Amino acid sequence: MGFRVMPKSAFPGWVEQMLQTYRVVGPRKIRDRYMFDEVNSPGDLDLTYSTTVLPPKKVLLPQHEELLSFDLESGKMEAAIDTQPTVLLGVHTCDLHAIRLLDAVFEDGYADQHYIARRQNVLLVSLECLSPCTEKSFCKSMGTLSVTEGYDLHLTDLGDSYAIDIGSERGQALLELTENAQPATDADYSRLNQTLSDKWPRFPYRLESDITELANLLAVSYDSDLWEELGEKCLGCGSCTIVCPTCYCFNVIDEVDFSLNAGSRIRQWDGCTLSQFAVVAGGHNFRSTNQERQRHRFFRKGKYQMEAYGLVGCVGCGRCAEACLVDINPVDTFNELSRRRIPMTRRHKEVLP
Amino acid sequence: MTQQKPKIAFFDFASCEGCQLTVIDSLQTNLELLNAVEIVNFREAMSEKGQDYQIAFIEGSCSRKSDEARLQAIREQADIVVALGACAHLGGVNAVRNRQPLEDVRTYVYGNKADWYETYPARPISQVITVDATIPGCPIDRDEFIASVKMLLQGRIPKLPETPLCVECKLLENQCVYTMGKVCLGPIVRAGCKAICPSFGDGCEGCRGLVSEPNMESLKQVMAEHGMADQDISHKLDLFLTYQMMNLENEEPK
Ligand code: SF4
Ligand code: SF4
Ligand code: SF4
Ligand code: SF4
Ligand code: SF4
Repeated sequence: MGFRVMPKSAFPGWVEQMLQTYRVVGPRKIRDRYMFDEVNSPGDLDLTYSTTVLPPKKVLLPQHEELLSFDLESGKMEAAIDTQPTVLLGVHTCDLHAIRLLDAVFEDGYADQHYIARRQNVLLVSLECLSPCTEKSFCKSMGTLSVTEGYDLHLTDLGDSYAIDIGSERGQALLELTENAQPATDADYSRLNQTLSDKWPRFPYRLESDITELANLLAVSYDSDLWEELGEKCLGCGSCTIVCPTCYCFNVIDEVDFSLNAGSRIRQWDGCTLSQFAVVAGGHNFRSTNQERQRHRFFRKGKYQMEAYGLVGCVGCGRCAEACLVDINPVDTFNELSRRRIPMTRRHKEVLP
Repeated sequence: MTQQKPKIAFFDFASCEGCQLTVIDSLQTNLELLNAVEIVNFREAMSEKGQDYQIAFIEGSCSRKSDEARLQAIREQADIVVALGACAHLGGVNAVRNRQPLEDVRTYVYGNKADWYETYPARPISQVITVDATIPGCPIDRDEFIASVKMLLQGRIPKLPETPLCVECKLLENQCVYTMGKVCLGPIVRAGCKAICPSFGDGCEGCRGLVSEPNMESLKQVMAEHGMADQDISHKLDLFLTYQMMNLENEEPK
């Protein structure tokens, strides 16, 4: 649909316009960290943010979400469906890739009506990263440092203006809220190209193998000693899975009022690195050690998601690495597995006479 | 549906009664609770005392021989016994003394009147009587108290949360206090307090007790890497967790 260019001076006015019709959620600085939060005025937004503690996933899949309310006395039951029109603004490309995975997961099989209702009413305005958000990120290695689809609008900072790529008709309509987005001129195009080509060398490749190799690397590393080493270090604190944009596991509980007959069914985040995650009826825990839980986590990130949906299960955002007190993270884990990879020749020798 | 309201009673042992104050506080925002139960014994809030109760909430640790008979009498009367707060649950701060020779502690506290007072190492009440449920914390969390009471009224037994505090802390998007040069017991402590200490920029002291599979060695290592001497690490772990730590170390009280 072609690029538009909007001077930065017009940006607050555009956000004001959005606020007339939409809930606007974007990165805000609160004390020393950034978080995605509802904004009340354009000044609340800070698009220069590095990263956030929790990913923008929380807008689509809230940490604590009412699924339905019930009253056993009257037999009434009502699904809680949130259709509030929302603009999710300033989503970095890694997180956009993660949302694509969430879409695939929640639309698959028995589609999740709560997620889908929210998703259909959320417009995604993504933002190109021009320098690494943290030292721990490795998006370039995971192929998530750019996007070509999945957004309604995509912004690139050109210094005094934003280049805006229109990704959908809804995005186009959102952009029409302002009169200050003009079709890009040749000069704008060359500035955009320069900006984009300047950005890549600023990002390191941190993964020593190719992402297409990861599934296979993990497959031959199921019995690696590394899992035991990680298991010994891991605190089981669950932080890594809670902060991850591609994690979506949840638990469901009922909360009742004092009548004991009426209440709500609540969904809340859970995570596979937590000790009780795999406890089933009868009390058996089918992943009872940190070692097994870490292996499972990294198999999800590097193998299972790729095989199930053809999308990367880790988008390299580095949030888990920031959160982990014992320095366990995907990139070091994959690299270490790669170094320790049992050479096929040796494996063959073991089976062949 | 008419049903007799369950009678509940509160008792205190070695404690500051802060948990019972939290109960009173939680009643103010949950007046419906008073319609759902009948409180027959609550020294903090009323003077009359009833002795027929079904649910007993016990605050405080068992810290002397004579506590045992009182605990047993409550156990005999109550259908359900709930340990209320860190002292009843873990021995609480009272158990700090368990690492020191008892005579020294008595003399330190009571001076030349030490012989007048009976005392022994502080213990969780579960070491004396069977406890059906526990509401942890110093003090307890009022929402958790209300949620637990509802479960009991439904005939369910509330379980201690197994998730570590870090989960709750991250869900609130707190900045980790380790990044501010402080230490925190969050990775090994049970969630449920809304991560109140880290939310205000302080490390968790562990008042809600250890999760069932704490990785002590690894967390000690983390604290050491953040500049804590071994002795400071022990002190940190001993504020609320002396009883649990001595158990893990197979140490007997002195
Ligand atoms: S953040 Fe680190 S210590 Fe905590 S569960 Fe994850 S890997 Fe283990
Ligand atoms: S595994 Fe870690 S780096 Fe990968 S997407 Fe999740 S939080 Fe980001
Ligand atoms: S990981 Fe990469 S894409 Fe994601 S926020 Fe950081 S720099 Fe941007
Ligand atoms: S502040 Fe404490 S509870 Fe919060 S994430 Fe850090 S270690 Fe965990
Ligand atoms: S953060 Fe730790 S010390 Fe503070 S109330 Fe919660 S469990 Fe207790």
